[in-house]
Amino acid sequence: MSDLLEQLVHGLTLGSLYAMVATGLALMFGVVRLVNFAHGEFYMLGGYAFWYAYAELGLPYPVAGLAAAAAMGVFGLAYERGVIRSILARTWHVQLIATLATSITLTNLAILVFGTQPKEVPTTLSSTIADVGGVRMAWQRPLVLVAAVIIFAGLEWFVTRAKLGKAMRAMSQNREACAVVGVDVQRVALATFGISAALAGGAAALVSPLFNIFPDVGALLTLKAFAAVIVGGFGYVRGAIAAAFLIGLAESLAAGYVSYAYKDAIAFVVMVAVLLVRPQGLFGRRIGI
Amino acid sequence: MRAVRWTVGAAFLVAVPWIVAAAVPGQQRYVLHVLIFTALYGALALSYDLIVGHVGSLSLAHPAFFGIGAYTAALLATEVGWPFAAALPAGIAMAGLVALAMGVPMFRLTEHSFAMGTLGFALVTQIVATNWVDFTRGPLCVTGIPKPQLGSLRIATLPAFYWMGLATVGGVGLLYHGLTTFRLGRAFHAVRDNETLASAASIHPLKYRMIAFVIGGAVAGGVGTLYVSYVGVLCPGELAVSLSVNLLVMIFLGGVGSLRGVLVGAAAFTALPEILRMAPTWRMVIYGLLLLIIVIRAPDGLEGVIRRRPSSSGA
Repeated sequence: MSDLLEQLVHGLTLGSLYAMVATGLALMFGVVRLVNFAHGEFYMLGGYAFWYAYAELGLPYPVAGLAAAAAMGVFGLAYERGVIRSILARTWHVQLIATLATSITLTNLAILVFGTQPKEVPTTLSSTIADVGGVRMAWQRPLVLVAAVIIFAGLEWFVTRAKLGKAMRAMSQNREACAVVGVDVQRVALATFGISAALAGGAAALVSPLFNIFPDVGALLTLKAFAAVIVGGFGYVRGAIAAAFLIGLAESLAAGYVSYAYKDAIAFVVMVAVLLVRPQGLFGRRIGI
Repeated sequence: MRAVRWTVGAAFLVAVPWIVAAAVPGQQRYVLHVLIFTALYGALALSYDLIVGHVGSLSLAHPAFFGIGAYTAALLATEVGWPFAAALPAGIAMAGLVALAMGVPMFRLTEHSFAMGTLGFALVTQIVATNWVDFTRGPLCVTGIPKPQLGSLRIATLPAFYWMGLATVGGVGLLYHGLTTFRLGRAFHAVRDNETLASAASIHPLKYRMIAFVIGGAVAGGVGTLYVSYVGVLCPGELAVSLSVNLLVMIFLGGVGSLRGVLVGAAAFTALPEILRMAPTWRMVIYGLLLLIIVIRAPDGLEGVIRRRPSSSGA
């Protein structure tokens, strides 16, 4: 029984990670209709930024975590200006190949700079074990879950109340109409990339103490987060979050009870199964994020 | 005049092993090795372009089809002792069947989702090849794959493999030309350029996408079979996603949807590492940047430069 509970806790940690990455993907797709194949690499770079701030500079954990998120936010802005802006008007083929090319470049640059040896960043919370009624887990895991809930609540508030968030929602529904009524669509797109990349950086700062950081972590992560976006109904953020937790739980249960070696195939199996039954995703298609 | 040019060109290509032996006696083996890779990569890139360039479906599943064909033939040859003449069709058929089976759920996806779904399929295939150790020998690799033997004709020397590669790229080139030029080719392009209009003209998009996907997958499986019969060893690393990136660089470098462009791209791409001569990691960084620049600045590739006129390609 405690075994099952432990697997569920692991699944929720994974789900939080996938949800934070998937939210970024869904926001980008919702606002500018672009799928960022390099999103997993944002998480990877966020992990290295966190490692640098925490292990090399010796900053306290909360500061290092926020620094990693902020650094990735700035990276997201630069990415929008440097790569995305020149391809937004092009066909989806061009967009897809350009972001895929970015992902390959970033992965291999990371190998050159940091090497293939994984970086371990244990924190006090990830190395002390909590024992809750026989269920043993690192304190970092509840922290990840709580932080994820706070982040999603903050995001929900942001897109429903803040002016920029409202503009993002409006743009995801009708870009032309937004431009007509004077929304600065370029600035909103820029902000969306900043926020999405910062979310990936924040996710990296939260889970890196539990999982190691290595250069090619990104490809599988992009795939799983994208599977969550598809299963959740394309571009619908809440659906993506729910689907990400579903995939995280399925993966951790499969790793515990079916086969550890094939756990990475689960997200894909879930995606194909859902698509065969409900091509529009579990939560249906709706307009906007 | 045209026929003469073709005959001379073909004679030159067939005579390459002797020309190489006369021109660079010391490095003959090395040059032929590069040429064999160029020919096999050219055939693989053509089969990939059939899907990406002609029906406009950005599949990333090609490493999986290549690997499935290669593993089928390699395991049949080493474990069951099938002759090459039976293992090659088995590799082609298996890759084609898997493409058919995967195409059904995959083509429910459109655009990005299709790309991501096929990428997922490629990753899962590699995971299976790595972890199903009892069957594929996993990271220990399948070794001792026999050289091809057709009756009394045994392909074992480098010039023989060169002619095999040449015949492969020639055959695939003819198939590519035949499929993309006539009525079928026009249907492919209709589906690529305007799906709605194509369906209105009773050209069923799914049907033509499936045709291209299955044929492309089967050919990739065949090339995989020939590739392992040349190299002699098959490891799960051959199925890596980076193969898709290499193929994308080739077809975009040369020119999407053009026979000449794809072959030029494959030749330039295989020559590139020999010119660059640096660590594979640096190479991938350069490929990534190259692909990024080409796709943003010159989406028609070298073919666009050769033609000097805007292409109608939708990619």
